[in-house]
Amino acid sequence: MVGSAIEQADVHAVAAATIYREARLLDTGEWADWVAMYSEDAVYWVPAWLDEYTTTNDPNTQVSLLYHDARRGLEERIARIESRKSITALPLPRTVHQISNLEASETGPDEIICHSVFSVHVDDPRVAKEHLRHGRYQHTLRRDGDTWKIARKVITLVNDRVPTVLDFYSI
Amino acid sequence: MNAASQNHAARLREISRLIDDRPSERIFEVDRRIFTDPDVFDAELRHIFEATWNFIGLESQVARPNDFVTTHIGRHPILVMRSAEGKVGAFLNTCRHRGTIVCPFKQGRQKFHVCRYHGWAYDSSGRNISVTEEASGQYPPSFSNQNHNLLPVARLGSYRGFLFASLSADVPQLEEFLGDTRAFLDLIIDQSDSGEVEFVPGASTYTFDANWKLQFENGLDYYHFATTHSSYVDILRKRNATAGPDAGFTAEPEGEQEGQGSFSFDHGHAVNWSIKRTQLYGRPLGMDPARLDAVRQRVGSTRAKWMLRQRNLTIFPNLQVIDILSAQVRTWRPLAPDKTEMVSHCLAPVGESAAARTMRIRNYEDFFNASGLASSDDNVMYEFCQTGYEATTAAPTQGYLRGVADVGHGESAHARELGVTPSEWSFGLPSFGGETNFHPGYREWRRLLQRAAGETV
Repeated sequence: MVGSAIEQADVHAVAAATIYREARLLDTGEWADWVAMYSEDAVYWVPAWLDEYTTTNDPNTQVSLLYHDARRGLEERIARIESRKSITALPLPRTVHQISNLEASETGPDEIICHSVFSVHVDDPRVAKEHLRHGRYQHTLRRDGDTWKIARKVITLVNDRVPTVLDFYSI
Repeated sequence: MNAASQNHAARLREISRLIDDRPSERIFEVDRRIFTDPDVFDAELRHIFEATWNFIGLESQVARPNDFVTTHIGRHPILVMRSAEGKVGAFLNTCRHRGTIVCPFKQGRQKFHVCRYHGWAYDSSGRNISVTEEASGQYPPSFSNQNHNLLPVARLGSYRGFLFASLSADVPQLEEFLGDTRAFLDLIIDQSDSGEVEFVPGASTYTFDANWKLQFENGLDYYHFATTHSSYVDILRKRNATAGPDAGFTAEPEGEQEGQGSFSFDHGHAVNWSIKRTQLYGRPLGMDPARLDAVRQRVGSTRAKWMLRQRNLTIFPNLQVIDILSAQVRTWRPLAPDKTEMVSHCLAPVGESAAARTMRIRNYEDFFNASGLASSDDNVMYEFCQTGYEATTAAPTQGYLRGVADVGHGESAHARELGVTPSEWSFGLPSFGGETNFHPGYREWRRLLQRAAGETV
């Protein structure tokens, strides 16, 4: 029922379908489909930690680990990897995203905010090493016709002492 | 000298000979083992990092009384504090009682630091203010005469807000140690009308599985840029095709010859710089023409010109300061022969416009650190080198000779402009990628090990 309040069960189902699909596309390297899940003006933000307890809260006056205020920034990162010129992706690490603790709520007629937690198992065949990144996601989803787009994703990376490379596929 | 220390001295002499430096024969070779050998690593920590000046932070990180920040010099945990009276001190971050880390936090503000183990307490000047239950402790009489304060570093100095400390008192004065590198710190600091710089909040810590000297070398290396960072250059070119007037691009004055050059200084320091007609990226200082004019008025057109040129400064043994599309201060902490921890800060002049600051931050995130589009490629290269250096029976690498045929001594037009007197200099085409600027660090490396071995150097 377009234009009316969606049921809580539907909210949860939309959120789950979206973020699980995103995780799968990241793990399978289907990046054109992945980035198409984002709106053109999407914000993709991985704040840095100021101290043991607090993350940065203003990307314009503080440094973030990653900050893109448009899908274009993610597309550049994809292009860099697909050019096969970046040694960070030759070979590309294998990843498994695990997501749980999903909570979703409707925050407007066409907006859903969802919170979840993630672990990304990263296996790097280049050096035969593996590591685990973990943290929290906050997605803002916006209705776009019949589909939902990711309008904003904030990734709080809990273990921010990063080994060697941090990119969109490993968080 | 007993047998053990004689053996140690002999081993240090052996290690120091892993650098083969014969300028008259135009030979400079670095044995691969300096990147892999645990003995070399131990010697470096003890006789280099823990025996000379290290950068430990900015004074502005501890701007207010009782502010503190923690760091390391070599293996030693360090606590930097501003006392209640406003004096900056640097101390070994270890309790006098049982050695516990007194302050386990990255940064903060506290009048007192209480050891969580048995409760000994120190104020922000490092003074012990409490030995828990001292009266009932049945201490020998000598105890009350002992000093229980946090141990200060042997030397602490500041150059215009850049704090340096040494665990050894046997070091030159800080001004002498820094020498003409000060002119290059000035080129950043004087971009601020008040002559102050600050770290933009949001530091980044990352590791790579390679020796710290890979970072030391890479920060001096322009040769790698076009190949290692070609994917990043592609992105920049694409962006630049549609860049607007606020992208911060600036032009070299007419008549300047394009090229790359370097200055080598005493005590292991060096700087490389480039003069380019077509820039790959804009500068925060370049995006606001009125402010750039004001800076030019204040510092003169020559120094303003140099402020807009890429400069990569290495202050041996643990600091690199890069002023390019943004400014970065990075330090390394050797953890093992094949593991290094990096701490990286975005450096900014106090008082720049909000728009320039945001541009500085975006450019910094874009380029630097494990998450940046350029530095992440470097980190992987270090690990590839480290793996390659395990081929210890291979001949020495051939990576220290670009520029050797034409290394400059004495006067140079570029040095004269800045009023510096480097021990060596180089200048070449934009594709030059000189390597003689690696030499001073290795010469200082060797000198410090020879000195530790008891040789007169």
